[in-house]
Amino acid sequence: MSRTKSRVDRRTFLKTATAASGAALATPLIASKAFAFNKPIELVHWSWLAASDGEVWAQMIDSFNQAHEGQGIQIKMELVPEEQYTTKVLTATATGQAPDFGWGTAGKGAQLARDGVTVPLDALIRDSGLDLADFTDSSVKAARYPKYGDEMYMVPMDLMSLQPEVNVDHVLEAGLDPDAFPTTGEELVKWGQAMTKFDGDNVSRSGILMTGSGVQPTVTWGIVAEQMGFQRASDDLKTAAVNPEAGIAAMEWVLALFDEYRVSTRDVTDRYKAFGTGNGSIFWTGPWTLNGYVKQGVNFRTYEMPNIGGTQRTYFEMGGLEFYKQQDEERYAATMEAVKWLSDNSFLWTTVGRGAAPRRSILDRPDYKTTGHPWDIRGAFVDGMKIATIPEIPVVAGPEFTIYSGGNFLASTLENVWAKQKSPAEAMEQLAARWQKGLDEG
Amino acid sequence: MAEARQIDMPDHVSARLNMGETVRIDRIGYAFVAFFTIPFLLFNIMPVLFGGYIAFTEWSIIGAPQWVGLDNFREALHDEWVINAFKNVLFYGLIIVPGVSICGLLAALFVNQRWPLSSIARTFFFAPYVVSATVIGLIWVWLLDTQYGLINHYLSYLGISHIKWLTSTEWSLVGVSIASIWWDTGLAFILFLAALQDIPKDLIEAARVDGANKVQRLFFIILPLMRPVISMVVTLQLISTLRIFSQVYVMTNGGPAGSSASPIHYIYQAAIVRNTFGYASAVAIILFILIVLITVLLRLVVRERA
Amino acid sequence: MKMFDAPRVFAFRNGSPQLSDVAVWLIGMFVVFLWAMPFIWMVSTSFKLPEHVLTEDIEWLPRVWTLENYRKVFEYPVLRWGLNSIIQATVSTGLCVFFGAMAGYALARMRFPGNGLLFALFIASLMIPAEVTVVPLLLAIIKVGWASTYQALILPTVANVFSVYIFRQFFLTFPRELEEAARMDGAGPFRIFWLVALPLARAPAIAATVIIFTLNWNNFLWPLLVTFDESMKTLPVGVAQFAPVVGTHTQLEGFSVSMAAVTVLSIPSLVLFFFLQKYFIQGISQGSVKS
Repeated sequence: MSRTKSRVDRRTFLKTATAASGAALATPLIASKAFAFNKPIELVHWSWLAASDGEVWAQMIDSFNQAHEGQGIQIKMELVPEEQYTTKVLTATATGQAPDFGWGTAGKGAQLARDGVTVPLDALIRDSGLDLADFTDSSVKAARYPKYGDEMYMVPMDLMSLQPEVNVDHVLEAGLDPDAFPTTGEELVKWGQAMTKFDGDNVSRSGILMTGSGVQPTVTWGIVAEQMGFQRASDDLKTAAVNPEAGIAAMEWVLALFDEYRVSTRDVTDRYKAFGTGNGSIFWTGPWTLNGYVKQGVNFRTYEMPNIGGTQRTYFEMGGLEFYKQQDEERYAATMEAVKWLSDNSFLWTTVGRGAAPRRSILDRPDYKTTGHPWDIRGAFVDGMKIATIPEIPVVAGPEFTIYSGGNFLASTLENVWAKQKSPAEAMEQLAARWQKGLDEG
Repeated sequence: MAEARQIDMPDHVSARLNMGETVRIDRIGYAFVAFFTIPFLLFNIMPVLFGGYIAFTEWSIIGAPQWVGLDNFREALHDEWVINAFKNVLFYGLIIVPGVSICGLLAALFVNQRWPLSSIARTFFFAPYVVSATVIGLIWVWLLDTQYGLINHYLSYLGISHIKWLTSTEWSLVGVSIASIWWDTGLAFILFLAALQDIPKDLIEAARVDGANKVQRLFFIILPLMRPVISMVVTLQLISTLRIFSQVYVMTNGGPAGSSASPIHYIYQAAIVRNTFGYASAVAIILFILIVLITVLLRLVVRERA
Repeated sequence: MKMFDAPRVFAFRNGSPQLSDVAVWLIGMFVVFLWAMPFIWMVSTSFKLPEHVLTEDIEWLPRVWTLENYRKVFEYPVLRWGLNSIIQATVSTGLCVFFGAMAGYALARMRFPGNGLLFALFIASLMIPAEVTVVPLLLAIIKVGWASTYQALILPTVANVFSVYIFRQFFLTFPRELEEAARMDGAGPFRIFWLVALPLARAPAIAATVIIFTLNWNNFLWPLLVTFDESMKTLPVGVAQFAPVVGTHTQLEGFSVSMAAVTVLSIPSLVLFFFLQKYFIQGISQGSVKS
């Protein structure tokens, strides 16, 4: 309701504003911009950040609103469950009620870009004075869609990777040295075995934390497979499933965690909770978990992902803010002002909040390493970005490729492998066929 | 009882009784039904018609739906996940429907004895029915926890060790079914109880005088008299089981490996998570046809017997 | 309508009971206890400290009683969710029962072309999986700018056919003389409905109200989809965030908090049921006699 109302307000305002600016042509550009916010604009922002990182993000929005109190621009944040996020953005856009901006993941928005749901940002960024040179090259590259004018479709906010968090209590209890975390797959399994506990014949505490289905085994497979030389799509985005035997070998490695090495159990449903309650020892996950575990008092450290398959790599994810199509295009400039402020002031977000900063000026600040959580637990997520080279596949069928998913085609096909209802070779064949179809469609 | 009989009276008879012999048309009746019918058409029927249309198209909300004819249906019938979901719902039916009917019947027979504390028994048997799927799901996720759950703990006294109720492909469907039985029994119980209390006392008394013992009275008098209500409970429960969703969503989200996914859960995934609305609608229509077929079939079977 | 007898505490019917009866009674009461066990366990867990939840042995009572879990639950806007649920369920139920009474009255007492057809349509619509309608409906609701509003929560749930059904069945047996008398006095159809029929329909009205209220209170999928705003969620949707597989708030909170959350969620419907169970039971047995 309030949305509709603010629209009407704005429309009447814009009329007067146009009239006024015609009368005052001599006013400098900056001043007219400031004037543009004299009548309240309420930007609607959708976010699906709901864990401990969500609280820090809410602080960011609050400080924006405080800093712009009385200046005619405010942000209203609405929480949308991640699972329904795309559906809701699509429905809202189709009916001309889209939010102004929201959280996106680099590479996953090809369909939105193709359908004109998200807005290309190159010109807006230029006009706003947001300094692109200050962003790391990889972040700018990840924000672009080569197939859609190679424009940026998001303003990068933070860089994330999956790195192993390790329960230090378990390490010490097993007589291992916390300063000598494994760098190879064999050592890793040995560590896992040293920390695994059994209840009769069942693993009751996982040395390496896995779930029987969903995200954790899927993403583990994805990382190990790419380390072994598998590619979901060739670099030119033409051929799917390059080196399928490496993909099959990685499936077998994940299966071995359960059945051969016996360091994991299929019986965990909530991986976050399991690590938090000490039911798992080594857990590769992202920086969004840090606040939660620190608050909960888990004694843990984070290390860089070991080299299990041949090349040391891990999953790369970039969060950013994307703009959704508005009927009133005048809103884009205001949105860009807000997003520029959020990016310029993202020190809090990239230290205490979630991932590593994509902006050089923030990374270079002397207090960057000392702010927020201890470097012991945060450092691997910043320094480890250099090995985070497994990206999303930026095509329309991208969601079917993503390895960080619990419910896409990849995850459900692999689920059958973990449950031993399908052989790895059979699964790989199905994946290759489906992915090829996705690439062919563009 | 007398009132219940009148309720059963065919419409045309009651209409004649109520309105006398003159055939009068009450146009004002349209005004009376309009208040209900307008929201009914707007919010219940229109979306169904639109959904029916969408099933023949490919559509992801943005842009106009693309007509694809029967493609979605063809694809659905060959989709192993769809087949899996329909297979699962068959098993759900095989477990939940008899489970609910038998539990409900036993509970009703017990409460109907009017033994001490029977009103407390009645309250407890019915109570789960009034709470929401979220409550059912969350309570049972905790009760069925493999390691620390109450159920596995007490089963271990019987020498049964750690069943992975919700985390293994063999058991997840059973785990969700147990929670569903606990949830739905209340309804069957009340319907059976009402029917039991409508059985004329003198009939049972006569049988007792003739020397029929309790078991004989149950099987030769009570159960045959309850046939209509039993068939009704089975039908209602079957339809609601074919539509099982919320508890699946909350307890397992269909996993692991789709082993507890139901058709509606699949539809939800296809529509809301993957945004393939045409396809989701097609699966929904297949489910709808299945529900209608089964209902009609059950009716025929019951008529045949009666 | 059959009424259920008031409780008779501790007295077997025919004087001294048979031994076998006592045995069956004991087993039966044990099952009754088992049936209540999930609720008892839910409440017990909700008062435990998180570290006392995952225990090797079953501890029926908390070692230390704590309200901490409830405090955590109330860190989320639970009261607001509750208020939304109350508004949604009350308004929707009120409209549904009133409109349903009018429609049920007309279908039972008035003769107009399409009467039977309309009723058949109502009944047939029960077979449509409601989930099918959800996406088109969502689109329409957003189109008119109603996302995350009370009207979006309420209006699509107003046309619950059960209400029409229960009133129609009631008015079929309604004594004709009363209407005739009112008609003689010159009352129009609306006056007859309002002053004669409706006041006598207390029993079906209460039955329909409690049942539809419970359905609305527990409604899950639609509010899940149509609320975009944390402050517009209803209680079941908000509380579902504590579920392990689909939830987002579980990283920190163990079973103790989720049990506190579901206790909060189930109390209103359980209390309502305990006080009005007679009507629940009547409504259900009445409403289903001929479905």
